[in-house]
Amino acid sequence: MTLKTWQKNGLRMVAFLLVLLMLVLAVGHYLMPQSNRYLEGYTAGGILGEDFDTIDVLVLGDSNAAQGIAPMKWYDEHGITGYTYAAGWMSMYNLYYRLKQIYEEQNPQVVVLCTAPAYTKKGSETTMQSALGDIADELLPLLRFHDNWKYLTPGNLLTEKDYSWRDVNKGYTPITDVAGRPNTDYMYDTGVSEPIPLLVQFYMQRILQLCADHDSQVVLITVPAAVGWNLARHNGIAAFAEANDVPYVDFNMADQNPGIDWTTDTADGGTHLNWLGAQKVTEALGNYLLTHYDLEDHRGQDGYESWDGDAQTYRDQRTDIQTRVTQNAGIV
Amino acid sequence: MAYNSFPYLCIFLPLCWLAWALLPQRYRPVALLGGSLVFYWLMAGTYTVWLLLAAALTWALGLWLGRLQDLQAATTPALDPGARKAAKKSFTALQKSLVAGGSVALLGLLVWLKYLPFLVRTANSLLARLPMGWQIATPTLVQPVGLSFFTLMAISYLVDVRRGTTRPAVHYWQVLLYLSFWPHVVEGPFDRWGQISPALLDPPKPDYRAFTFGVQRILWGMMKKLILADRANMYVKAVFDDWTQYSGAAVVVGTLLYTLQLYAEFSGCMDMVVGAAECFGVPLAENFRQPFFSRSIGEFWRRWHITLGAWLREYLFQPVIVSKPMLRFGKWCNTRFGAALGRSLPVWAGLLLTWLAIGLWHGAGWLYVVYGLYYFFLQWLGQAAEPTLLRLLPRLPQWREHRIYRLWQVARTFVLVNLGMLLFRANGTRAALDMLASLRRPYTDSLLIKLDIRDLWVLAVGALVLLAVDLLHERGVSIRATLAARPLPLRWAVYCGGMLAVMIFGAYGDNYDPAAFIYAQF
Amino acid sequence: MHTIDEIMKILAEVKPGLSAGPDDELVRTGLLDSVEIMSVVMALAEEFDLEISPLDLKEENFHTANAILALVNRLEA
Repeated sequence: MTLKTWQKNGLRMVAFLLVLLMLVLAVGHYLMPQSNRYLEGYTAGGILGEDFDTIDVLVLGDSNAAQGIAPMKWYDEHGITGYTYAAGWMSMYNLYYRLKQIYEEQNPQVVVLCTAPAYTKKGSETTMQSALGDIADELLPLLRFHDNWKYLTPGNLLTEKDYSWRDVNKGYTPITDVAGRPNTDYMYDTGVSEPIPLLVQFYMQRILQLCADHDSQVVLITVPAAVGWNLARHNGIAAFAEANDVPYVDFNMADQNPGIDWTTDTADGGTHLNWLGAQKVTEALGNYLLTHYDLEDHRGQDGYESWDGDAQTYRDQRTDIQTRVTQNAGIV
Repeated sequence: MAYNSFPYLCIFLPLCWLAWALLPQRYRPVALLGGSLVFYWLMAGTYTVWLLLAAALTWALGLWLGRLQDLQAATTPALDPGARKAAKKSFTALQKSLVAGGSVALLGLLVWLKYLPFLVRTANSLLARLPMGWQIATPTLVQPVGLSFFTLMAISYLVDVRRGTTRPAVHYWQVLLYLSFWPHVVEGPFDRWGQISPALLDPPKPDYRAFTFGVQRILWGMMKKLILADRANMYVKAVFDDWTQYSGAAVVVGTLLYTLQLYAEFSGCMDMVVGAAECFGVPLAENFRQPFFSRSIGEFWRRWHITLGAWLREYLFQPVIVSKPMLRFGKWCNTRFGAALGRSLPVWAGLLLTWLAIGLWHGAGWLYVVYGLYYFFLQWLGQAAEPTLLRLLPRLPQWREHRIYRLWQVARTFVLVNLGMLLFRANGTRAALDMLASLRRPYTDSLLIKLDIRDLWVLAVGALVLLAVDLLHERGVSIRATLAARPLPLRWAVYCGGMLAVMIFGAYGDNYDPAAFIYAQF
Repeated sequence: MHTIDEIMKILAEVKPGLSAGPDDELVRTGLLDSVEIMSVVMALAEEFDLEISPLDLKEENFHTANAILALVNRLEA
């Protein structure tokens, strides 16, 4: 059989693309950070260092969650093992692919999906652009980690990657800064609803499906944020929650509010919570989880030694953090 | 949908190419027109109507001009010489008024949408000096994408038809395709109807080599835009937006980086669009010819944004100078000031007009007027100083043949061009002067602004690669043809290397700000 | 009819120190740039009272002194 010229050229192009793809995947793998500490913003990457199938509650979210939900508090008080997988600008597209990876090692009973990423988009991008960009990042690690060539040194060119780092705070980052704002009603009713962009909805449904496939129960929550959240968005999420039959708890709403005092509980004027705010939200979410799900107390159990150790470190650091933040807030 | 975006490169372009290649030969222009309209619609939305209207006007006038020329050719030869001359005169007058009317309408649209706010602001600042206290409300108008490009191309079409150097298009869609052709609608080049219409309307067979060459050129453009221009942009933006914060050295580096950014970006964009057109067998005009090897300002502008300079030379500068009023002005100067000024004053007047047009084409604002005047002044100085220089340095003509002197000329031009770039990028004329003054500030602070040392290394190495490629081109080496003659593993290694370089060293993602194409706003 | 000497004289006036024979390439070698060519055009228009149209301003009409002579003779005819 002899090939026509165009067939030969077509084959050649396909072969070239295959070679290129293999190179892109190989280089992408090579450029991944040396330690899981630097896989993602905040300390989300630490989840890879946790022991196999130890996490019962997985929180997925963006910076609001990373600064707002402190799972170690749950373990310390109730023995619930949780992890906050969250970082700045995380989108629902990102979260879907990350959740898929997490399921390879963990099998959480409850997945808490924070809603802020449903509306997160950089101003300069269209919905389509941010979706394509984020999905490409997930499929081709080279795009996500491309800037890591900067951290290659003669010393670490050939060293093996070490992904065993564990985070004491389980994905939460304690912030002791205080930059308050007046306690105004930012959830006033304007009568509008901001629907979730269709593509985002589609990916949220994929997340729900993924959770259902792994027998995890899902709850949608919104971390308090005076800047960035409003009733229109609440209505958009509520509509989604109803249509897909998932519970939704919005800690911004008056009836769910865990008592956030915006003059002291935010680190940057209302966008993100600090330690004080995080304590309140974590407490409220913990109570919700305890009442609605049958979560086991793992304290002292075999296989949870690392958790008990981390809990001790957490308790040792807590007083110091508490002192600093209360000083910053001017509370004596 | 920018030329460097994922949807354009990975979805739009392949789909258009497949449609173009798979359609029977006579329907291939449909793929080009369809692609162009979709592309333009995605960029401009309902403003597409301006493009459709401009194309309709251009098409109708072109057709009319063609009919008049046919009528003239059919009727006048039978007339006696006297009547023939009179008929020719009235035919010419009619054609000229058609072209003038069309140009005024097209330019009117351009002025209305692009320059009206500037004109109103200027009028207001004049009115403010009057006691009546009149002010005009500043209109907010949105300028459709590519307006300044397709307007000038439409005018060149009309003039070319009138001059008889090209035949008019028969069908509306042909003119529309010429004006809206997506590779040149956003940032040029200014293509002539006569040059690209054969390939647009009677497309060649899909050619594998042309396709691969086009893709390679796109890749090279991507490297310039993503690795160099977008990276330099971070530094440039910081320094020019807030120059008082930085040392004189930072201003110098910022200016050099802006020159690098603009060159990498604009020539990179041209590589992307010429490469894209090449895939479809359409030979777009080149806009750059190694501009930084120029030995004079005049030469620089013949190598930088070539098609804009050529357009203004052919449709503004030359016609103005040989126009009757200008010739009369020349005679008047001749009797008044003597032969030397008699022949140079009209030329300088025309040149001044051209430089003002270049300045204002880049934007509606006084800064751009100053920018045009800067280059006019440099060119005038070069010519005016020549006789004196020759008297002072009688051996200058011999020196000019020497390599060292040529290098000095290139360096001198480079410095002058960089000053022009500083002016061009600064936030206003006053800011530009202030930045120049800041060159005397201490040179002590850190030069790492927004970028770390590794980024600066990438920029330095990239600039050297750019220089090397320009040197090869200057020597007439066709890099793509040379590479095509090498064995396959080497070629593939080079292409894969280029693509990986874009992906690894490209300034995109969370650590960088995405930058829009600069020339798309003109 | 004009002679090549008249043309050479005009060229010498426009560009002092120009060293080119009647058949030497003027444009591509960069001996005359577009501005200087326009000065030549003005000088020709003055000297010979010519009417020059933009269409005549082509490179082939100016690339040598002899080409300029041919243009002048043609325009006067």
